[in-house]
Amino acid sequence: MNRPAEVTKEPALEIRFGPVDIAQVRIRSTDPGIIVDELTGRVATAPKFFERTAVCLDLSELGREPDAAELRGVIEAVRRAGMLPVGLVNGTGATDALARAVDMPLLAQFRATAKIPPVVHAAPAEPEPDLGPLIHTQAVRSGQRLYARRRDLIVMAPVGAGAELMADGCAHVYNTLRGRVMAGARGDTNARVFCQEFYAELVSIAGVFRVFETIPPELAGKPVQAWLDGDALRFARLGE
Amino acid sequence: MTEIIVVTSGKGGVGKTTTSASIACGLASRGKKVAVIDFDIGLRNLDLIMGCERRVVYDFVNVINGECTLKQALIKDKRLETLFVLAASQTRDKDALTADGVERVLDELRAENFDYVLCDSPAGIEKGAHLAMYFADRAIVVVNPEVSSVRDSDRILGLLASKTKLAEGGNGRVQEHLLLTRYSPKRVASGEMMGVEDVKEILGLDVVGVVPESTDVLSASNAGTPVILNENSDVSRAYQDAVSRLLGETVPLRFVDEPKRGFFARLFGG
Repeated sequence: MNRPAEVTKEPALEIRFGPVDIAQVRIRSTDPGIIVDELTGRVATAPKFFERTAVCLDLSELGREPDAAELRGVIEAVRRAGMLPVGLVNGTGATDALARAVDMPLLAQFRATAKIPPVVHAAPAEPEPDLGPLIHTQAVRSGQRLYARRRDLIVMAPVGAGAELMADGCAHVYNTLRGRVMAGARGDTNARVFCQEFYAELVSIAGVFRVFETIPPELAGKPVQAWLDGDALRFARLGE
Repeated sequence: MTEIIVVTSGKGGVGKTTTSASIACGLASRGKKVAVIDFDIGLRNLDLIMGCERRVVYDFVNVINGECTLKQALIKDKRLETLFVLAASQTRDKDALTADGVERVLDELRAENFDYVLCDSPAGIEKGAHLAMYFADRAIVVVNPEVSSVRDSDRILGLLASKTKLAEGGNGRVQEHLLLTRYSPKRVASGEMMGVEDVKEILGLDVVGVVPESTDVLSASNAGTPVILNENSDVSRAYQDAVSRLLGETVPLRFVDEPKRGFFARLFGG
């Protein structure tokens, strides 16, 4: 068979690395029924945000290492609720063995707890430390995304068209807002959006959103706030 | 100290190569030692605009791969003795570029005491554009007063502020300049076209120059003579002003207002 003198082969695949945002589901019980109930509730509050979102499972607050069968039950429950578990949060050596048993990767932990806390009563979850708002003073350019996890977001510079702001709490833009803003990202229906010069493309609070194909003249370029009134998203000039 | 300047835009066809060529000539004609590099691997055109397309023996990728020395690849301009062109490869594609390779070439240009290295970026935000801006100290973002160009430039400004070596190091930033090209004061006055102030407001940056729309640009490309060398052209004057501003001089903006018509012109129309 004749072959050309030089054969250039296209590689069949390419490997790239890049940062990825991923949610952590920290479980305090391995009861599948409880997990399905609670998670389904969460997914329903902000379906566009949570449905089919990749999550990694953090077992550090269970107080003990589950066995592989228990863990499979947990994974199945999370899937039924609508999220997609893709890994375990890196923890102890036993977590490593579990990860192998369920054939999932270990993902680096965001916060530094690598030891199993001593077994305690079923106390209510400790409140997260209040970090105050995330304050951003640089222009947010088209294609950029900001996410204020468990906080309010305050932006002091212009937000370009095609930029995205997300906050679990309120979102404030003390400048021109041309992009998209999503407050109450985890379902806080009390979250509000405030801005100084309103030209937003999309506003969402706790998953209830409105797209602005045209901006009503009474709001365009004005200081505006948005809030949820039951199921309806309301907008008004600030100071009215 | 060598300064690396990237000429980028996001949007294609707005005047990056035209600008790279003219600014490089402008700096060289003021006695600076300048290298201008084409990062558009596979679709090279800087050599055409500079008029040296038939003198390209070795190109940027050859240097990166060690197939020749930088000195062998640099093409000396025939008109300005301190100006050198490094052409892109026409037969390969952007995958031939590597961050290490680009860094080595830039370091070698620094060692050769170049005052300015202009990196002519390809359009888009992929590897070629990314590497063209990655090592930059300054950026000239070329924008047409038109919605998609402005949007793409906003994206590029975001990338300049986050995905460059200076930004990733955390203790510096790429100095950003806007250059408005293909500007028509008449159309701005009639409300058809975005004005300088509109662009400044959306992008939040001052302009380092406003270059008027002109048929001179096409003629210059065809002739292989960067338009700044055409002394009779307003485009040339605008680029000269931009070079002055880049060098720190304060120069008032020209070519942003409709030319005032004299009494007889108004009387007899035309």
